[in-house]
Order: sequence, then structure tokens, then C-alpha cells
Amino acid sequence: MSKTNHLSGKEVRAIAKENKKIIKKLEAYKNRKAPESEYLTEMKDDSNILEIDDLHTYFFTEQGVVKAVNGVSFNIPKHATVGVVGESGCGKSVTSMSVMRLIQGPAGQIYSGSIRFNAKEADGTEKVYDVAKMPMRDIHKIRGNQIAMIFQEPMTSLNPVFTIGQQLDEVTFINNPKATKETAKARSIEMLNLVGIAIPERVYNSFPHELSGGMRQRVMISMALAADPRLIIADEPTTALDVTIQAQILDLLRDLKEKIDGSIMLITHDLGIIAEMADYVVVMYAGRVIEQGTVQEIFHNPMHPYTIGLQKSKPTLDSDSDTLFNIPGNVPNPINMPNYCYFRERCSSCTKKCAGEYPGMIQVSPTHYVACHLYGEEQNNG
Amino acid sequence: MLKYIIKRLAMAVLILLGVSMIIYFLIRLMPVDFIQSKIDAINQGGATVSEETVNAMYEMYGLGDNSFMGILKGYFSWLGALATFDLGTSFVHGIPVADVIFEHMGVSFIIALIATIFEFLIAIPLGITAATHQYSIRDYVVTVLVMIGISLPSFFFGQVLKDFLALKLGWFPASGLLDATVSQAGLSLLLDYARHMFIPILTIVILSIGARMRMTRTNMLEVMNSDYIRTARAKGLKESVVINKHAFRNTLIPMVTSLAGLLPSLFSGAIITEQVFNLPGIGNIALDAMNRGDIPFIMGYNMFLALLSVIGVLLADLMYGIVDPRVKLE
Repeated sequence: MSKTNHLSGKEVRAIAKENKKIIKKLEAYKNRKAPESEYLTEMKDDSNILEIDDLHTYFFTEQGVVKAVNGVSFNIPKHATVGVVGESGCGKSVTSMSVMRLIQGPAGQIYSGSIRFNAKEADGTEKVYDVAKMPMRDIHKIRGNQIAMIFQEPMTSLNPVFTIGQQLDEVTFINNPKATKETAKARSIEMLNLVGIAIPERVYNSFPHELSGGMRQRVMISMALAADPRLIIADEPTTALDVTIQAQILDLLRDLKEKIDGSIMLITHDLGIIAEMADYVVVMYAGRVIEQGTVQEIFHNPMHPYTIGLQKSKPTLDSDSDTLFNIPGNVPNPINMPNYCYFRERCSSCTKKCAGEYPGMIQVSPTHYVACHLYGEEQNNG
Repeated sequence: MLKYIIKRLAMAVLILLGVSMIIYFLIRLMPVDFIQSKIDAINQGGATVSEETVNAMYEMYGLGDNSFMGILKGYFSWLGALATFDLGTSFVHGIPVADVIFEHMGVSFIIALIATIFEFLIAIPLGITAATHQYSIRDYVVTVLVMIGISLPSFFFGQVLKDFLALKLGWFPASGLLDATVSQAGLSLLLDYARHMFIPILTIVILSIGARMRMTRTNMLEVMNSDYIRTARAKGLKESVVINKHAFRNTLIPMVTSLAGLLPSLFSGAIITEQVFNLPGIGNIALDAMNRGDIPFIMGYNMFLALLSVIGVLLADLMYGIVDPRVKLE
């Protein structure tokens, strides 16, 4: 196929036909009825709450298949905060949406891979679900009550025609069928208090448009917490807020994590937030994980040229330079990605080997992994 | 709130004044002449009408002076009568315009009301399924069918239905409103009305579903792609609750505005459909009045619709304030 985006009518029709076939199969799989045994599984490591294993999430567009998430694997340990970093369009949000099964069909589909999640039932027993294989009709077993999500856009993430109270009570009603109007309200007010809202009764009766962005994000957080989830996915929770509010929201998230004793998957492009919040870091680039490790390893010993570039492009006060460092070039076109390191064209330490196949994950320390030809056994030979 | 309504009503009076002026001047400029056609009819009968009689007739109907000042004078005399709630006497019918309107409006109103209710009951669920199953076979089938509905002209489709259901199958009467052979009392009278109104209502419903369904589908699609629907799903709500509560409540907002245009159309009558089925509705009467230059009736009828339009828009704004908490009426 040519490098340009122009496609002939014949090509477009061929793509549409192919897409239709795959989408039909995947949609049928999503809508099937299945016994629980079909998606029950085992954790590889019991200290993890979430294990994403070779996840592929594709978007079947008219121009071709966009492999937004292309073989992502990482784990979230219990009681830990895992930061996922990467520039816009690298697939970090799509990964989190896949975990929640919120990918918009029919174009967006989880193509393959597994998402193992350790759920805690009401009676205290633990069950491991493969979320990627769950039929949509059973998704309520984990969505909202086991895994909750905080979104990037507090301004538009609340329904404008319902009061905060109505939207919060709903969460209690879903998870506790015995709840009455009074108990639901009491729970909602308690949640609003927990996230540091000063006059919870007034906010309870307000409409979203009557609150500021920071307040709305607090409401979103209280909504996520109302069901006592084991894992909170925070998708750029502070991007739309100003800096002082950002700090407050991050403090709040950290406190709450201690209180509910859960895990957080924190998605951001801000390395400062990662340094402050995360225990582990996953660096993504063009739909793949290129480096992962503990926060110390990633910040003190970054190995992938992209991670090094990211570190350098962080503004600091003590540098003399007037200009910010930037990584040259752009993220490659996600349609029909070739099977070599996608960062090759932008990399300053590109070698001959980079023309070859996509590099595998190389283990540097028990927790530190990197996908780059500069390291591993090839390094010793060359 | 009350202050807002009073302010709007005061503005409505100004708007109606402007509307009446425009309508009156347009009618006076129309190339139909009630007197001339009346005299022509007399002449055809063999008699001749003298020049003086003709002039006297023009004077009697207030149409003698066609200069600008003459028309202005005519307008103000009409307006003066209106101030005493007198819409004048219809040229054609020879009875007060208000009586003519009320006599014929009932039929049109009942047909329009029933048709509108069915239109909403059918079009909204269709629009929602088409939106929630976008690009599926269901979406395409619904869209194609309602597009056929939109494209058919009412005089053609009404005629087809009449030919098939009334003339071929004989299930329903072909035209008119009442059957002379049926005893005219109680339930049998009601049934007779219903039988006569069935095909006209069916015609109107099928032809109007399309636009409303398209509107529902578009609004629903827009709402379904918004962030708060994603939040509702992320909470763990069932898809049916997401659609019927969170999404539908938001699609109501633009739907309420479209209600504004509905109020006058409930009373205006379906001119073409009434023609096809020979119904004594207000639309039929209005067309006849237009053709024959019945100035008082045309004025009265159009002012009535203008008043309903103004009230409809006001009601829509008030409803907006109810369904959308972001809107505050000041």
C-alpha cells in the first residue's frame, strides 16, 4: 500500500468487506450468552489485582485497521498505583477503556488478549475474571462496583439534566438493591464529604453546571468510590483542571487509595504527576509498552531512548537552556504499522539492528523491562 | 417567571400587529377579486350589472380605493373592528369569520391531534432503535422506509391509499365525514366519524413520521456519543437504563423546541389531504377563501394561526426551562 492516505475505491471496498466480517464475528462474541465458567480464570501472580496480557484493541476504520493497542502487557499489583505515560494517541486511554469494556463498537473492538481481574465477591471470596472474554450482558459484575473510572473531562462527564444527588444515588441503587431513598442519600452525602466537599447537602441538590471544574471532578471521584471498587482507573484526572486544583485532586486520590485500600491505574502524560503518585510506571508508545519498571528505575535509570527523551523534555528550573527539549518527528500513522521499532525514525541512537523486527521485551532487573535493540544479548555481540 | 411571561406577551402583541399589516397588504395586492368574480357570475346568468352598482358593491365591501392610502384605511378599519373582537363577516359564507373558523376547525383539529399522537408514538421509538443500532440492518430498513414516507407527496399517497383501502377493498369510506345512511346518534355516530377519518389520518401519519424519526435519530446519536453516557455506562448501569433514562432525557431538549411549530399546525388543517378526501376541514375552507378573495376570512384565519405560533414559541421557551436545568428564563 502506498504511503499516502489516498485509497482507491477498490481498496476502500475491500477494507469495508474485511472489516464487516471481523466486526460481525467480534460483535457476536460480545453479545453471546456464556456460563461464568467460560471466563473464569487464574491469576498468574496472586499479588496482582489486574493482569493485562498481550491485549490488542483495534479500530476498524474505512482507511484500514488502526491498532490502537497492539500487544500491551502489564500488571497492577494490589494496593499499588501504576502510572501509564505516553504522548497523545499512544493508546493509554484505549487500554483503560478496554479494561472497562467501554470501547465504542462496532468500529472499536478488543481483538485478542486477556485482561485478568481479581474480583472480590460480596461474601469476601475472590474470583478471577477474564474481562476481555466476558459477554457484555455480564459486564455489570465488574463495571462500576469492582473497577471504577474517573474521566479526563469533568466538565462534560456528568449528565447535565440530573442533579448530583440523582447521579450519585444511582450508584448506590445499582450495587445495593435493598437501598432506600434515605440510605442512598446518606451514602451519597457521606461520599461527598469524603472527597472534601464543604457543603455536601447543597452540592447534592445542585446541577452539574452550577459547580466548578474542580468540584465536578470531586463529584466524579465520589461517584467512583461510592461502590467501594478494588481498582480505580483515573484517565488524566487533572488534565482539564488548573494547577492548584490539580494538586488538591492528586492529594485526594492518594488519601483515598489508603482509605479504600485499593489500586489505582493512573493515566497521564505528565511525568511530574507520575513521580509524585505512582509506584510503578508503564511507558507506552504507538500502542505498545516500550518500558516499564518501578518509579525509581524509570526516573533514575531510563533506558529506552523515548523514555530518556520524555525525561529531557520535562521543563526544569535549574537548566540554563531557554528552549525546551523536544523529540523530533511525530507518532507514526497508526494504520498498517510496520513490524519494526516504531520509534526508529525519531530515535537519536538508532542502529542497524533497528531495521529488523520489532524488539522483544528485555528484562533489566526483576521489575524493569525495556523493548529496545540497544540492550539485551545483541548488545554483547555488537 | 410571571414577569417574563408578561414581557413576552407584550412583545407578542407587537409581533401580531406587524404580521397583520403584512398579511393585509399582501391580500390586497393579490390578483383575485371577489367582487369581479361575483359580477362575472351574474353576467353569465344573462343579466347585466350597471357601472354604478359595481362601484357601490366595491364601496360596500370596503375595496373601493386601491391606492396606498385606501389600503391603509382598509387596514385600520379592520384593526378597529378587531379591537372590539370582531373579525368581520366572511364574503363567501356571509356569516361572521369567527363562526366559520370554529365550525370547521374541529374536524381538522381532531385529525391533526390523533395524527400527531401516532406520529410521536411511532417515530420516537423508531428513531431510538435506529440510533442505538447505527449502521445495522435495522437502521437501514427504518431509514429507507421513512425516507420513502418523506418523499411521497400527500396528494399522490392519499389517492393511492384511498384507491386501495376504500375503493378496492371497500373497508373504509372514500371521502366525506359522515355517511347519510347511518343513524346519527351516540356510538354509531362516533364510529362513523372514525371510519371516515381513518385513511386521512393514516396518510398524514405515514408522511410525517419520517422527519420526526430522522430528528430523533440524529439527536440520539449525538447524545449517545457524549461523555456523560460513557460515565453512565462506567457506573455499571444497564444499557436499557443508559438509553431510556440518561440518553432519552437529553434528546427531549431539542424535541421540545420542535413542539413550538406543532401548535399552529394542529389547528391549521391539512389543505391537500382535506382536498383529497373531501373533508369539511378548515384547510379546505381556507384554500377556497384564498381562491375567491375572501379577505376577512383570510385575515381572520391567518391571524389565528399567527397567534398560535406566538403562543407556541412562548410555550416552547417555558418548556425549555423545565426540561433543561441549564436554561433560566429571565
